[in-house]
Amino acid sequence: MTDRETEWAALLRAANAGDGQAYALFLHAITPVLRGLVRARGRALDAASHEDVVQEVLLAIHLKRQTWRADAPLLPWLYAIARYKLADAFRRRGAAIHLPIEDLRAELAAPMHDASAARDSAVLLGRLDARSAAIVRAMNLEGESAAEVGQRLEMSEGAVRVALHRAMQRMMRIVKGDQG
Amino acid sequence: MKTDELITTLAGQPTALPLRSGQQVLALLSAMAAAAALFLAVAGPRDGLSALLMQPLIAAKTLLPVLTSLIALPALVALFYPEGRISHPLRLALPLAVAAGLWGFGFATLPGAARFAQFTPFAIVECVGLILVIAALPLWLALWLAAQAAPTRPMLTGALAGLVAGAGAAAGYSFFCLQDNPLFYVTWYGTAVALTMIAGAWLGARRLRW
Repeated sequence: MTDRETEWAALLRAANAGDGQAYALFLHAITPVLRGLVRARGRALDAASHEDVVQEVLLAIHLKRQTWRADAPLLPWLYAIARYKLADAFRRRGAAIHLPIEDLRAELAAPMHDASAARDSAVLLGRLDARSAAIVRAMNLEGESAAEVGQRLEMSEGAVRVALHRAMQRMMRIVKGDQG
Repeated sequence: MKTDELITTLAGQPTALPLRSGQQVLALLSAMAAAAALFLAVAGPRDGLSALLMQPLIAAKTLLPVLTSLIALPALVALFYPEGRISHPLRLALPLAVAAGLWGFGFATLPGAARFAQFTPFAIVECVGLILVIAALPLWLALWLAAQAAPTRPMLTGALAGLVAGAGAAAGYSFFCLQDNPLFYVTWYGTAVALTMIAGAWLGARRLRW
């Protein structure tokens, strides 16, 4: 680990002295490590937004690069920024991700026995894009699992869950009267 | 955007000058000195100040806030940096212990009627209000410096900014203040400093996110 510390500190020191190439090398060197961090901590996020979070952390490191003092160790500085931005990214996305899907499903499944509700749900489904409607129909009305639907639509299980959740939120907004 | 493209863009940006904690300390000390000097230039120090400062209880009125501000200052500047930690948190409790001791001493030595005689609404509002006014400029500067840096604990950073600025302002105000009773100055200087800390924490939580 001391090798990494010395090597990266030398790169960033050169970068701060105006060496753009050293800076690019530095950013390229830390990116896989950041990616690993995001993957390890970000199980609640779908894979597609992992890279967005990696980019947010890179951008923060860039915008705050003047706060690394050349006489201070680099790795604690780097991890402190990464940890702060990861928490920030998860907090901002968290509201959309962590709402329990099971609760929503129970809520929507209950009135399905009612004919008018079934017709309403058909109307609601009609207002979603085709893929979202297919996911909602398969999982909530036909009881397929996320894995099964994912296989059929060539999506990861996580992506299916997120798509379902977003579709449900959209339908609830339509029911409440905003246009969603 | 692809991550590689982002890196290429970022690498093409002009370099940023690294911040220096020494300069930040110096800027904050200058702002507090300037705010106090400006206040004293307008309001004027009390009569016979230099002779009165020979009395320990009157000197303590200045020294205690100076000590508080100087202890909190390095902790504040440490928190400007992402990996920053307060290296000796217990040191921050030292001024509080001295303040409690002074208060207890004042209470024990003063006769009952004299203890709270100076607690008039005018004196309280004057003291707390003027300390808050003097603290405004250094608090603003401390939050501005924090925003240029990268504090990862915005609320704590803001509270410490309030502590440094409020205590510094109280020290400046003490040269004007006529209440030499420790019960008065510990209570109301303490209240003013607590208010600047709350203001700092509130502003920090809102303004120091990045």
